[in-house]
Amino acid sequence: MKLITLLLISLQLFAYPQISESIKEKQLYPMGKKIHTKKCPSLTKDSYQTYDALLLDIEQRSICGTLSKKHSEALALYLWDKEKAHSTHYKKITVTKDEKCQVCGMYLHYYPTWVSQINYPNAESYKFDGIKDMMKFYFNNEEGIVDILVQDYYTLETINAREAYYVTGSDVLGPMGNELIAFKDAKSAKTFLLEHNGKHLYRFDALSEKMVRALD
Amino acid sequence: MTLLVALVATTLFIADSMKAEYKQDIQTAPDIVVSAQKALRYKTIDETQAARFLEIDGVSNAIPRVWGEYYFAKGNVRFKIVGLDEFENSTNSTLNRLRDRLSYDTNMMLLSPKVKAILNKNYYKDYFNFILQDGTLLRVNISQKSIAIPSIRDEYLIVMPKELARKIFAYADNEATDIAVSVKNSEEIAFSARKIAALLGNAKISIKDDLIVEYEQMYNYRSGFFLTIFIITFFTFFVIIYDRLSGLNSEQKREIGILKAIGWRVEDVLKTKLYEGLIISLFSYSLGIILAMVYTFIFNGGILKNIFLSSSRLLEHVPLQFHLDYATLALLFLISVPLYICATIIPSWIAATVDADEVMR
Repeated sequence: MKLITLLLISLQLFAYPQISESIKEKQLYPMGKKIHTKKCPSLTKDSYQTYDALLLDIEQRSICGTLSKKHSEALALYLWDKEKAHSTHYKKITVTKDEKCQVCGMYLHYYPTWVSQINYPNAESYKFDGIKDMMKFYFNNEEGIVDILVQDYYTLETINAREAYYVTGSDVLGPMGNELIAFKDAKSAKTFLLEHNGKHLYRFDALSEKMVRALD
Repeated sequence: MTLLVALVATTLFIADSMKAEYKQDIQTAPDIVVSAQKALRYKTIDETQAARFLEIDGVSNAIPRVWGEYYFAKGNVRFKIVGLDEFENSTNSTLNRLRDRLSYDTNMMLLSPKVKAILNKNYYKDYFNFILQDGTLLRVNISQKSIAIPSIRDEYLIVMPKELARKIFAYADNEATDIAVSVKNSEEIAFSARKIAALLGNAKISIKDDLIVEYEQMYNYRSGFFLTIFIITFFTFFVIIYDRLSGLNSEQKREIGILKAIGWRVEDVLKTKLYEGLIISLFSYSLGIILAMVYTFIFNGGILKNIFLSSSRLLEHVPLQFHLDYATLALLFLISVPLYICATIIPSWIAATVDADEVMR
């Protein structure tokens, strides 16, 4: 009986750990990536069947140099999950000192976290100081759009507007007053809605010109 | 006149330079720093708390930091020790560069020039023995490279791997000095701080923006130090002006009288007086500013600097950065030149408009 328990426990030693997504995304993957790039860029998970085997090799056979327990785990997690669906990474929206919002004419460099962008073919693009203004433009110029890009509120990543979640009526005001705040996933949108007294949660397709104008 | 301008200018320059440097330093600080407290006094924090902070949406990173001071008895000096993890990013780019220059496999640390000098003086050239809490010695090798001149506050800086720092401070494996929290969207910093406060209860949370406001308040023109110097300077100015306004002395009156007799009109006299006043005040102003600059930046502010730096003479040797604030120069100009010119013209005008005969008598 004791032997069986011991065996079971030892099998659990290196099982894929229960760590929350936030910690993995924010801390472990970036750290693992750094270790990978710096110490063993050629290492992949391809020759390993299980996470345990990979971690064992990293920790005990030092295939990536001597690493502490924490670093080993970060590297193993990064390698193991690296092939997880990596959505298209859009470039960060940057503005120069003289760029203005296409709709209201305000200078954009004062509000870098609020800038959104619509791209057309032939490198034609327009920037806006908020999603409200962008939607006003959008409803009159829908043809030929290549991308619509907005910034996620919490992480400031550039995301595809058509796949984003929007919260209106919150206590966070943009440069144009009441705004649509964009989020890359439903969970953070709901958190924001609750914490900042938001009124509604929409997906892109549910946005209408009437509702956008009602925000003014 | 020159000396007066120089005096005020020096004070203002020193303050501006320190303010600018502090502002620069603050930029490298983390958005939020969380430290634990016990009985409202500082205590080390459990680094596993960082995981809880990461669950907050607005928080992009939470790094447990290990840093502190070590008293070197023989040299009567306190070293600031900063522990760095090979794969962690600090918000301070200088520290990130130093992190990359450390060697983590060999027991080694990087020193600032002052620390190196003082250890050298005490016959520690290639290594140093830290005295640990339990009385044992920890030998750490000294790197050949050294840290470039640090800022005013980090003269005695030592950078080493986090694990070594932990040993020196006798920290347990999960103990940290504080946790540096980064929040990507500046709009969300205050809110994230409140959420952290709700998680921890009695922790001390300091936000970067608050630090900036605090410091601005200390260095703005309403603070006590400035007020004292200003009052003295203005008082002197007014004495000069009063002296002028209470009429010219008889010699100057005669001079104007003679000029008028020769046939000079009032405008001519005034013009001459104006040019005279302008030349004197502009010259004094420029000379005063240059003297002040030399005093502040080449002689390092000498005594006056100590008004702002309450610490000991240790800080005297760090050079003040050259920083020119146009607002300060404009202020100095406005308070010296126009006042002086008015002070010279008005009495001259009074004297000049009076009949020539009367004046000469």
